[in-house]
Amino acid sequence: MTPIDSSTMTTVAAVMVVYLGVLLFIGWRAARRTHGGEDFHLAGRSLGAWSAGISSTASSESGWVTLGAVGMTFAHGVSGLWYAPGCLLGYLVNVYVVAPRLRPLSADQGSVTLTDIITRRWGDPRNVLRVTATTIILVCMMGYVAAQMTAAGKAFSSSLGLEGRTGYLFGIIIGAVVITLVTSLGGFRAVAWTDLFQGLLVAAALIALPLYAVMRLGGFDALVQGLGSISPHLLTASGDRVGPILWGFVIGQLGIGLGYPGMPHVITRYMAARNDREVQRLQVIAMLWGVAVFYGAGVVGLVGRVMLPDLADGEQALMALALKLVHPVLAGLLLAAVISAILSTVSSQLLVAASAVSYDIVEETLGKARDDRRSLLLGRITVVVVGLIGVLVALTEVRLVFWFVLFAWSGLGAAFAPLILLALTKNAVNRHGALAAMLTGAGVTVIWNLGRDPVASAAAFGRSWWIALLAAAVIIIVGEVSKAFAPADRVAVVAAAGLIAMSWWLVQQWGLANVYELVPAFFLAGLAALVVSRITTSRD
Amino acid sequence: MEQFNLSLGAHLLLWVFPLALIILVFVENHFDGPEGEPRQ
Repeated sequence: MTPIDSSTMTTVAAVMVVYLGVLLFIGWRAARRTHGGEDFHLAGRSLGAWSAGISSTASSESGWVTLGAVGMTFAHGVSGLWYAPGCLLGYLVNVYVVAPRLRPLSADQGSVTLTDIITRRWGDPRNVLRVTATTIILVCMMGYVAAQMTAAGKAFSSSLGLEGRTGYLFGIIIGAVVITLVTSLGGFRAVAWTDLFQGLLVAAALIALPLYAVMRLGGFDALVQGLGSISPHLLTASGDRVGPILWGFVIGQLGIGLGYPGMPHVITRYMAARNDREVQRLQVIAMLWGVAVFYGAGVVGLVGRVMLPDLADGEQALMALALKLVHPVLAGLLLAAVISAILSTVSSQLLVAASAVSYDIVEETLGKARDDRRSLLLGRITVVVVGLIGVLVALTEVRLVFWFVLFAWSGLGAAFAPLILLALTKNAVNRHGALAAMLTGAGVTVIWNLGRDPVASAAAFGRSWWIALLAAAVIIIVGEVSKAFAPADRVAVVAAAGLIAMSWWLVQQWGLANVYELVPAFFLAGLAALVVSRITTSRD
Repeated sequence: MEQFNLSLGAHLLLWVFPLALIILVFVENHFDGPEGEPRQ
């Protein structure tokens, strides 16, 4: 980016401080209304359409929407926009299929988390489903939280003009302290309210900036001519891709949407909606937000390509355009929007990870802290501990954790999305099928992801099929020793291992590694759920 | 000077799809029937 003068930087930093102050104020207000466990984990099922709708969408879109999505159209032109229909089709399924069914089901069951939905839907006498689901959620969420904290640290340090390693560390700590404090004090309600504020900020930025930038460029035709003169490929839906590469790309981008019904930090918003009427209103709000944000980000990237020919990193286009085109106060708000996209996701994921530990493990699996005040205290302490771990991982940059981030979206999506859709729409699955689906979804995601880059990870990929079988053996042994497994659970684990090994074979023999792993993992997990349910009975 | 245009696919991807989606959402909301008492 071009160097910024110090008065602009001071103004931007002042706007950042106000923005952080607003977050803390919202957290404090929410804390005053949070009195017990269900309040902390689900805002007492009291959310209106705006907070439930915007919070669900803002939580699902992390920094990638203001950075990665912008970078896609900056690099590939209009063909970089394929993520938009993919994500919006995911939104459609979530708000029209999942939300209207999930809210009443969770209220009737008294479910608080996604894990609750699964275990209460099919029964879980020995906590097999709860332990499996919680493990997958924790592994994916901790990696996610740490990665988002790293992104927030980078965005804060560049917005506040902090330089070098010290600036980066300071940026991480500022973001982490504020968001951990807000989440710990106000729980779900604070997360939903801050998401609403931040989500509206993101939407305003991604509506106003592209409109203004296109106007400054001389109108839409000037944008088209500018892109065409760089390369005519920037004006087509296929770009410079042809044949199988084009289809693989399009299917992969559309496949992103398959993950939405399985995101615990997204679908718990629907569970917290006040009533069915709020869900009906939420549908319009969420869809409009999605269209505005995805297409706004896309147009920012297109304009950036024309207006900022020397920009080396297209993902910085929004921030660079903000500093180039508008008054420093507005630039500060636009940079706050970039950080908002990150922090709204961090807070939601922090809460899901904390709920997984304090509610799913300590309260439900171990049967501790069942009274409301102790549950609230336990939730708050867990948020702080999870936040601290996230900061430590982000600061020390533990590579293994960041490796898990590669699987976070697709792993959660494949493990839970088919299961949630089956739980809400069909009566053809039992708890053994549910176990098989979670293991298959998570396992196939890892195998397929490794296969995507067989040169870099050839050894790991080559070993992965027997690691899958070894993992299945370990799960069965643990299940037997702990006396948790019914005979049909063994069938579920063997079926999952078989499908994972089969997916390894598909990648090896058919060269399907370029297909986005969520697509095969999603369908194989659904298949596992239906087939295992068919060949087992729900009796032990 | 050469004039450039969006391809048909680019038109569909860039504005036809989101516009059609927004219209569908409003139509669905309009015809979703009168809102009764909210179910708690």
